[in-house]
Amino acid sequence: MAVALLQMHDIIKSFPGVLALNKAALSVQPGEIHGLVGENGAGKSTIIKVLAGVYKADGGTVTIDGEALQDVTPRSVHEAGIRFIHQELHLVQHFTVTESVFMGQELSGIGGLSRRDMKAKAESFFKDALGTELSGDLLIRDLGIAERKLVQIARALIDGAAKLVVFDEPTAPLSSGETEKLFAAITNLKARGIAMIYVSHYLAEITDICDRVTVLRNGKTVSVFEEVLPDSTDAMITAMVGREIEALFPDVSHCASADLLQVQNLHHQAFSNVSFDVQAGEIVGIAGLIGSGREEVVDVLYGLKKASEGAVKFNGKSQAFNAPKDAVAAGMVLVPRDRRHDGLVLDMSVSDNVNLASLDDISTGLIERRKMGLAKAGAVAEQLDIRPRDPSAKARNLSGGNQQKVVLGRWLTRGAKLFILDEPTVGVDVGAKVEIYALVEKLAADGAGVLVSSSDPGELVGLCDRILVMLRGEIITEISTDGLGVDHLVALTTGGQAA
Amino acid sequence: MTQSLTIRRILDALPITVFVLLFLYLSLNSANFLSFPTLELILKQAVPTVLVSLGLATVIVAGGDDVVSGGIDLSIPATAIICAAIVADQVTNHQSPLIWGLVLAFGAAGIIGAVNAGLVVWVRMTPLLATLATSVAIVGVTKVITESRRIGVTDPTIVFIRDGSIAGIAAGVVLTTIVALAYWHLVHRTKWGMNLQATGGSRDAAEISGIPTNRFVVQSFLLAAFAGWIACSFVLARGSGSSPGSEENLLLEMVLATFLGAAFSPRRVVTVWGAVLGAVLVSALSVGFISIGVNVFWTGCIKGVLILLVVASAAAGREQ
Amino acid sequence: MKYTKKLAAALAMSVSFASMAAADGHATLEGKTVGVAVVGTQHFWDREAFNGAVSTVEELGGTVVPVDGGRDNQVHADNHDILLNQGVDAVISILGDGAVEPKFEALKAAGIPVFTVDHQSPHAVNNTTSDNYYMGTTIGRYMADAIGGEGKVAVFNAFEGALRICGIRAGLWKYVLEDYPGIEIIQPELAEEFANAPEDARQKALDLLTQYPEGTLDAIHVGCWDQPAIGIVQALEEAGRTDVLVTALDGGPDTLEIMAEDGSPFVANVAQQPNLIGSTAAQNVAAHFAGETLLPQTFVDVFPVNGQAEAKAAYEALGYGTLD
Repeated sequence: MAVALLQMHDIIKSFPGVLALNKAALSVQPGEIHGLVGENGAGKSTIIKVLAGVYKADGGTVTIDGEALQDVTPRSVHEAGIRFIHQELHLVQHFTVTESVFMGQELSGIGGLSRRDMKAKAESFFKDALGTELSGDLLIRDLGIAERKLVQIARALIDGAAKLVVFDEPTAPLSSGETEKLFAAITNLKARGIAMIYVSHYLAEITDICDRVTVLRNGKTVSVFEEVLPDSTDAMITAMVGREIEALFPDVSHCASADLLQVQNLHHQAFSNVSFDVQAGEIVGIAGLIGSGREEVVDVLYGLKKASEGAVKFNGKSQAFNAPKDAVAAGMVLVPRDRRHDGLVLDMSVSDNVNLASLDDISTGLIERRKMGLAKAGAVAEQLDIRPRDPSAKARNLSGGNQQKVVLGRWLTRGAKLFILDEPTVGVDVGAKVEIYALVEKLAADGAGVLVSSSDPGELVGLCDRILVMLRGEIITEISTDGLGVDHLVALTTGGQAA
Repeated sequence: MTQSLTIRRILDALPITVFVLLFLYLSLNSANFLSFPTLELILKQAVPTVLVSLGLATVIVAGGDDVVSGGIDLSIPATAIICAAIVADQVTNHQSPLIWGLVLAFGAAGIIGAVNAGLVVWVRMTPLLATLATSVAIVGVTKVITESRRIGVTDPTIVFIRDGSIAGIAAGVVLTTIVALAYWHLVHRTKWGMNLQATGGSRDAAEISGIPTNRFVVQSFLLAAFAGWIACSFVLARGSGSSPGSEENLLLEMVLATFLGAAFSPRRVVTVWGAVLGAVLVSALSVGFISIGVNVFWTGCIKGVLILLVVASAAAGREQ
Repeated sequence: MKYTKKLAAALAMSVSFASMAAADGHATLEGKTVGVAVVGTQHFWDREAFNGAVSTVEELGGTVVPVDGGRDNQVHADNHDILLNQGVDAVISILGDGAVEPKFEALKAAGIPVFTVDHQSPHAVNNTTSDNYYMGTTIGRYMADAIGGEGKVAVFNAFEGALRICGIRAGLWKYVLEDYPGIEIIQPELAEEFANAPEDARQKALDLLTQYPEGTLDAIHVGCWDQPAIGIVQALEEAGRTDVLVTALDGGPDTLEIMAEDGSPFVANVAQQPNLIGSTAAQNVAAHFAGETLLPQTFVDVFPVNGQAEAKAAYEALGYGTLD
């Protein structure tokens, strides 16, 4: 084998309390497409950021073309010919294609910009290097997502000095048709001898286009596939998951009764034809990668976004919530994914946050009865074991787990019928997780319906009675969690296995 | 989807439609509204607004056109007025040569630009509040300098800007055209300008592309103060001296002109040439309204409504 | 002679002067377009002069092109360019500072005669104004009498250098005070704002009263008009000061009302007839077109107002209503 284009050895990187990379390794040959896979938190983005010079590694070496890179900085990496295609597009909406491609690297001569020159160069780059026709005069805001992605790629490669391009989840926002376009461009680049690192959750894509694959787990390189075959996905998933599911979950099965929520043929920009139901006393999960439409389904149900078509029946009545307040009034409540922004008023006290949704109950007319509010919040804090127990503590100073309990506690005081939990345990430590899971089980046992949307497959398998699996805007299957393995769920969400 | 798109199209077209209707109405009701002397008058009266709008356009291009969090500099008219006061005070009350007054005023403008930039980039105030505060402060200092009194100026250079002509066209108009072309070239036809636009278009995208965005924001505020400094000679020419209290009308017209320019630009963004066009249109409206005898309070009211229209249309465009 | 009678007689004379000109037959503005430019219409005086000019031009059969500077002297000056462009036959320009001079020059060069109100200009055919000399000396005497011929006096005097009429009024006020060696004018003089005069003067007067405590200040005079006096009286009330007297010029209805109050610190004023001034300017335009030679200045009578009783009488005589 020739000298590796890139070699990262024994990379160590720790953050306060977390060892994100523990002697991870990554090696890329000239001209190959190298896949990088792993579960959330496995260390994929950390190792990429170390390579980009964004994070400084605590240990390990980075070698490019056989020469050790002494100082890994954004500049030195750029000079070595490594380019990054970030997940975010980072484009200016009102710029033209040409202006975007040459952003920060404009060509100019005497008398100002060489506009014609830049346009010609950009257009010929699209044609020759990416195998597509794209006019340099189009505005970014008039382009589809795939074309914007190509503009982003062109911006990274237009100077002709790229040797290795790192793609971070490039297809996440793309539909399958658009993905084809991107793959065509990637294939074209490969033919020109440019090596690539391809980071993705979609294992089907990995097996489609990658020559070799590195699997990370818990900050370590656990496996390198020297040969990638269509049926390698199973082995990859085993390598990615590779752990026992901890006994986090209470073993309760619920006897569901009565239709609480019925969703029929719901359509939205981000998803189509979504139908499912939730019974009272049942915990239903929604699984799916970022961009699968999972988040939007939650938003539409709660009235944060509007469906273009379809019907929602809640508690026996046809409903289309135009705003969250309608949903709350009907008895449907949300624990949002971004609790620090959407779930809590960080500078208010625990008590105020708990009572935020039920001010009516603790106020008479225009006067808020503070004592009553504090007492009520105190009871909730007791029940949920929120620490510190002081209801007048600022929400900002609580740990993630306790913050989440405050958000949950707010709705407990309302006596809601359906709880929608969006990423309920992101940034929550294991101890608090167990408590939150127990609380969710109790809600269901008490007769409420629960809908859990999560990117953690273990959480869904452990907590839910059944799971809706979404892929690229559609529910591809609905499965019972009885005897369901986490690897099987991962295979479904990543498109690595047909439903 | 389709419904909101229709609404957006209507909103997009609204400012232009309103303007076209107003112009039709004016040309029908004022006999010589569409004539060469009127055109020249409109251009002459647009001069101070054009100059301060150049500065505002530059700041908005660098800071983005979000009315609240984007770039804005409300202190440019006050800068022009204080520079005019400094020059008038030097020339008339201290018998200094014009150039010395201009040098002092240049220094003042530089300080104002640097303070604005510092407040926005390092203290992280929103430009709207920061420049509003500096504007109020500048007006206060101007009153101290002039003791709230008018200071007449009869310097031949200023008189030339007022009355002279170059190649048969009013000197003020010609000089302003040159300045406007310089700003246009700088902002829209140079590498520096492209980077400035990228900074305002998407701060993240610009940083990812290796553009030092803070530096560009700072430079935009300096260029805005510079525009205020340039405008001072023309303000002096217009009033044959410095009169207190002229910044309010200028501020109103500047904001209207600059955002109006965005409504007319094909990409719906603030541009230098759009601001110039906007300033000329605003001047045309003023002249037109006066010509048909519209009460000055109504003119102010109509201008206010137009500002609302163009700003609302810009905000609605961003929502989509 | 009793003040009221004197006033009524004078008023009758000035009114007959106006109607005489109108009845003259040849004094007409038929077929003429007259631009009437005013610096602003927020203040009573400006608005009345403007209304007087506009209504008289119309009564005489002329067409009016009115323009209003919105209290911005630069806008006011620019408005003359628009009148020039409109091709009016004559321009009546009310108030304005030095910024209008080049505009008058241009109008004159284009053969358009300019008639000013309260603004002396070498480029104008005629300036209609109150007898500013009389105003300045009278208010000087009244103020000196009111404070017993000695004491400290502050003056709001922003426009002495900028407007000739103010130069006359304030200059002659000072000229009279030269004969009262016991009266000291506090330096530096105060400068009021044009656009927002009452509030601005209130602030500045409050500062002044802090600087000059009880017993160290005897009067505050407004050198050229009366709007700041409204704010000054407010400031005196706020500060609870009864030791300071106020004097001003113009005698609009708002300041006459203040003077008419019991125990008002506002003791002397000289009332003008702004409507008649505007109207007279319009008459002068007609006279000019009729081929008459006008004197450079036309003076319209003023009425000194000394104390509460005279304020009430003047208020009634000038047609502002009754005060009791």
